[in-house]
Amino acid sequence: MTNKDSSRNKIKTRLFWITIILITWEIMAKSGAFPEAIFPSLLDIARALGDSVVSGEILLQTGFSLVLILEGFLISLLAAILMSSLAVSNKVFNGLVDTLTAIAHPLPGIALLPLIIIWFGTGTLSIIVIIVHSVIWPMILNIMTGFRAISPVYKEAGLNFGLNHFRIIKDIMIPASLPYVLSGMRIGWARAWRALISAEMIFGAVGLKGGLGWYIFKQRVFMDTPGMFAGLFVIVLIGIIVEDYVFAAFEERTVKKWGMI
Amino acid sequence: MKVKVIVSILVFLFFGFTLAGCSTVGKVREEKLQIRIAEQYGLAYAPVQIMKEKKLIEKYLPEIEITWRQLGNTAAIREAMLAGELDVGFMAIPPFLIGWDKGMEWKIACGLSSSPVGLVVNKDNIKSIQDFTPEDRIALPQPGSVQHILLSLASEKLWGDPSRLDNLLVTLGHPDGMNALLAQREVSAHFTTPPYLFKELENPGMHQILDGREAMGEEFTFIVGVTTAELYQDQPKVYDAFLRALEEAVNFMDKNPVETVDILAEAYQIEQEELLKYLEHPDMAYSLEVKGVMKFADFMQKNDYIKREPANLEEVLWDRNDK
Repeated sequence: MTNKDSSRNKIKTRLFWITIILITWEIMAKSGAFPEAIFPSLLDIARALGDSVVSGEILLQTGFSLVLILEGFLISLLAAILMSSLAVSNKVFNGLVDTLTAIAHPLPGIALLPLIIIWFGTGTLSIIVIIVHSVIWPMILNIMTGFRAISPVYKEAGLNFGLNHFRIIKDIMIPASLPYVLSGMRIGWARAWRALISAEMIFGAVGLKGGLGWYIFKQRVFMDTPGMFAGLFVIVLIGIIVEDYVFAAFEERTVKKWGMI
Repeated sequence: MKVKVIVSILVFLFFGFTLAGCSTVGKVREEKLQIRIAEQYGLAYAPVQIMKEKKLIEKYLPEIEITWRQLGNTAAIREAMLAGELDVGFMAIPPFLIGWDKGMEWKIACGLSSSPVGLVVNKDNIKSIQDFTPEDRIALPQPGSVQHILLSLASEKLWGDPSRLDNLLVTLGHPDGMNALLAQREVSAHFTTPPYLFKELENPGMHQILDGREAMGEEFTFIVGVTTAELYQDQPKVYDAFLRALEEAVNFMDKNPVETVDILAEAYQIEQEELLKYLEHPDMAYSLEVKGVMKFADFMQKNDYIKREPANLEEVLWDRNDK
């Protein structure tokens, strides 16, 4: 009950501030202090958004971006779990994963872009590589921290039940470290979005499909400022939906239900 | 709740004042003689480099303060001019027209250069744009760029459909585009300018299937100098000095080829012999004359790249003689 109240309160506060921001925006736009190409009015932005929804373009580009990010995200999640599991089971591998993470984690995906173009070309494969790079290292760091935080008692209990290595990881270590995995996924998701949008803006489209980043870039080169804001709006909207609904629901059904947090 | 309302009013006012503050910045600078120019690298911009190195604007207006700014691409220059941070930018005609169409208060001050523009392919079986298959990819700087418009012109001429090849486009900056072409992966063609054009053609297996003039059907100015209405109307002395300096730079390049090569080789970090070869290319020419604006405007308006078309050249070109 209290939970529902607090979430309703959160929505109320947000709506309140959004209204204030929108009113300020509209007054600034209408005051004529800035050229329209710099500060378009809300109506222009809404119209640009409406037009691109009707023409289907923004939906197509959003769909394209979402498919790419899910693909990259799932690959990273599986690879991170696999690498972390191997690292906790094997000392040599642990050293390797630790070194790789130390080298690759501080490298922004965009800094690797010129190299990625030479190695993987400019297609969707390259964008997936950049997403995986952005997601996998923070994910490994979080999962490893989660694994290390598990009390050895659980593992020993598992061993006493005669569980094999695979089942200890699957049934004990992953559920027990889920809060860490979840926060790794949140960080990973945020980083994946940034990487995706930046990569799309730099790569440009192969054909008509180039994702949301490309959509914004295209509005920029044709100086369609309301269109740019329409693209930003969709990015924010997806961000809020994923954070407040997808991750929150996942959390509700797992770690909160199990009483872990 | 009361506190909330008060806080929100304060925030509201704060935002309002901050934003309102931005627009007053422009007024301070009227008394001072100054010009802010976007600097760009590339052979097509050579006279600008000469003008800078030989301090030609200073020659006509010794007390002037010049700011040279480096910006990544045409869109960034256009945005800086829109934001009132730049007075002069150099770009191709199509991006200028897009800005003009969107209501930017700017016009062309002068031409700067015409340059070879070429579509280079890395497959022997592609002999013309007709031979592209759906698997081929054509790299060019960005939609709405002069390269894109030239490709659309060629497609319209061949098939009556300017967007026929749009599904094959990949947007890449010149250096990345060159790397992608030479890597021979999915990119099979690159629409580019020197020095990238010449460097690509030096590689075995590369050949050119279309050039700019062929696509356009007539000669055109590749890069033009664009200035804001603010500079032209409020700072006529500065505007005039800028044009004279540029004119002198073009003449200087003509009369002092040795020193020109010295200056440019140093500035662009290119070998002297290589640079000389580029500069002597018959299609590489520098002149303040502006050609091709109306043809671009006409084509771009007919095919919805821009919504309105200038009725005559004067609408998009500053008149030099009304001073």
